Amino acid sequence: MPIALSRVDDRLVHGQVVIGWGRSLGISLIVLVDEGVAASAWEQDLYRMAVPAGVELRFATVAEAASHLDEWQGSPVRTMLLTGDVETMVALHRAAPAIVHKINLGGIHHRPGRRERLPYVYLTDDELHALEAVEASGAKVSAQDLPTTAPVALKALA
Amino acid sequence: MTGGWRALLRLMAVQGSWNYERMLGVGMGYAAEPLLEDLKTVDPVRHGEAVVRSAEFFNCNPNLAGLALGATARAEYEAVPGAQIARLRTALCSPLGALGDELFWAGLVTALMGLALVAVVLGAGWWAILGFLVTYNVVRLLTAVWALRTGLDAGMRVGSAIGTSWVPGAAARVGPVAGAAVGLALPLAAAWYLRGFGWTGAVGALAVAAVGAAVTRWFGPSLTSVRFALLAMGLLLFFRWMGL
Repeated sequence: MPIALSRVDDRLVHGQVVIGWGRSLGISLIVLVDEGVAASAWEQDLYRMAVPAGVELRFATVAEAASHLDEWQGSPVRTMLLTGDVETMVALHRAAPAIVHKINLGGIHHRPGRRERLPYVYLTDDELHALEAVEASGAKVSAQDLPTTAPVALKALA
Repeated sequence: MTGGWRALLRLMAVQGSWNYERMLGVGMGYAAEPLLEDLKTVDPVRHGEAVVRSAEFFNCNPNLAGLALGATARAEYEAVPGAQIARLRTALCSPLGALGDELFWAGLVTALMGLALVAVVLGAGWWAILGFLVTYNVVRLLTAVWALRTGLDAGMRVGSAIGTSWVPGAAARVGPVAGAAVGLALPLAAAWYLRGFGWTGAVGALAVAAVGAAVTRWFGPSLTSVRFALLAMGLLLFFRWMGL
């Protein structure tokens, strides 16, 4: 299971991701998939400061990540896929449904049009429908902020 | 730009309106308002947009929030495009959260608590607690002043200002100090608590600690150390109530 976690979290690289999940799953590589960050050197410098020694942080566009999913899955390095929005994670799932088959909603916060589903998960109806379509295609989607909390199934967020 | 001291005062209570929807966002907006006041006469439209932007979702360690507050306020005066300021705010959440948590929650607070425990055991009593509170709050205040000034000076270049500052080095160094302080405090505090219980009490406490370490390792994350401690205290009260 080299891609050990596929997480949607709009705070991107932060404590829950690096310490909460990273340490408990033994993650050595975090791949941040975001079109904007992949094109911005100064943003990448800021995100690198948030990663502890021993954990590599890579930046990728959706297309770049999609072309490397097989490689990461086959590598012994335990890897976390991290996106800041539902749309990007859905695109990764479509690129490799057999690899990105278990999606963790970790932190999707308030924006106009989004409705509170859990204190840490706000979704528009379109985002919810996109995730329901992903689940209908065989993937498992659940919300769970930390490994120590109970996962909440997608159907409970509707 | 004026309003720096008012912004600093408000920054000290930046978590006062913490909520899941915007986390520190509203507190940051409240602290930004005095800094943005001069913009009202220069560019009223920009002022309105800047105030709204400053209260959007934001989250980081509160002790380093001044870096983001100062940097974004300066960027507003320099007429940096709003979308770029929003991206700066989002990107700053990561290093200011990670470095701040490492420096304060896992570092300074832990180290000071360990030292305070040692001081209590050595007979310092309430002075140890007073020393802890004063030291922590002096460091916190000085850090807030530095963070706001650095943010205001750096603007959009705040990333390199953080990278070359004292913060990354201090965050890396304070961890071992915290570990040493807690490592020293634990056996001293345990011996202090067990005074008067004799060797049977010490053996019982050691057994509970050993079982706690084992079950939290085997059954975690469902049985965390906090849950085990509550369970152990509950069982202790039950046994006492039973007269055992």
